Amino acid sequence: MTIQPAGGGGGGGGGGTMARPNSSGLAEVIDTILDKGLVIDAFVRVSLVGIELLTIDARVVVASVDTYLRFAEAVNRLEISDNEPKGLPDLVGDITSGGAKHKTKGALEAATEKVSDFLGDVDEKRQRAPRGSKRGE
Amino acid sequence: MTDTTADERTPEEQGVTGSTGIYVYGIVPGDVEAESHATGVGDPPSDVSVVRSGEIAALVSEIPVDRPLGTPDDLKAHAELLDGTAAVAPVLPLRFGAVLSDEDAVSEELLDAHRDEFEAALNELEGKAQFVVKARYDERAVLSEILEENADAARLREEIRDKPEDATRDARMMLGEIITQSIEAKRNEDTQRVVDALEDLEPMVNVRQPTHDEDAAHVAVLIELSRQGDLEDIVRSLAEEWEGRAEMDLLGPMAAYDFVMKRAPED
Repeated sequence: MTIQPAGGGGGGGGGGTMARPNSSGLAEVIDTILDKGLVIDAFVRVSLVGIELLTIDARVVVASVDTYLRFAEAVNRLEISDNEPKGLPDLVGDITSGGAKHKTKGALEAATEKVSDFLGDVDEKRQRAPRGSKRGE
Repeated sequence: MTDTTADERTPEEQGVTGSTGIYVYGIVPGDVEAESHATGVGDPPSDVSVVRSGEIAALVSEIPVDRPLGTPDDLKAHAELLDGTAAVAPVLPLRFGAVLSDEDAVSEELLDAHRDEFEAALNELEGKAQFVVKARYDERAVLSEILEENADAARLREEIRDKPEDATRDARMMLGEIITQSIEAKRNEDTQRVVDALEDLEPMVNVRQPTHDEDAAHVAVLIELSRQGDLEDIVRSLAEEWEGRAEMDLLGPMAAYDFVMKRAPED
């Protein structure tokens, strides 16, 4: 009987091969009391551990095809949601919330003005550019 | 529901002569008393009592042997009794499911037969308790980290982007494998970070196997109970450092499940 770390120095290596459902209070308990703790000599011990524990063992699955595909899909989803314009949900929320309609419309109108200003700029440049190139000919 | 399926082996075949057995939770110093409201395994929950032999004792319950143990309530009762005890006295937790035939067997075959070992171990545990530090990655955060750091992962992401699963299966497998390996590397690094951060507590450390694909760390430590406040401070500052990246959890005080073992190899 000694007090020392169990598990023969399983120092973090070899991870990533077990997958279990998200932990709850019970999951924590299972992690702890089913495969840790003092085991008394078999000849004085009678185990009454029943059939229900078998279903717990069955939760342990090996990371493989399913895990890989799940991660890939998670990345795929991540990509899509990251590409969404950040302001859009807020804007939609404003439009549907009645009281903010006016404000939203104001913002959209302001945006339109800016766009036309910008277009005006571009027009000016375009007009200048041909002139310049004409001059070069 | 499954009560009757336990009778394939008769109690006699299991070495139990009566219709009841003595369930053993753990070993404690002889001056420990069971609290009157303490309840144990079984349905209805059994009473908890103490079998003493000299300076050591066992926390036990008398239970009927005609039904198997292992319901969630049984598991929790075992853990709660031991963890509650660990907060006030040293305790050697037995693995779930140990039953002896009667109280004489407990005092003679269990306590008397291992007296020296149990006494020495209880002395070592005096004033100490186990805690478990867990960290779990935030999926979005850890995937984003990997995509930034790993060019192959980023390339494969583009390859599968908006394409049906069937048409990109190979790329998805490769991407998933890279992610699994990257998380494993991060886990090793972050687990070491946790262990280093706890060093001041002079703990005994058992790095546990991960129990989830996205575990960042899973570490059991045995420390002086008086340092619990320091432990909480350390875990809190790690949690702040990793905010948005990983979620931290601290469990305990609990019995020293991760640190008790037989000296001689036995199975």
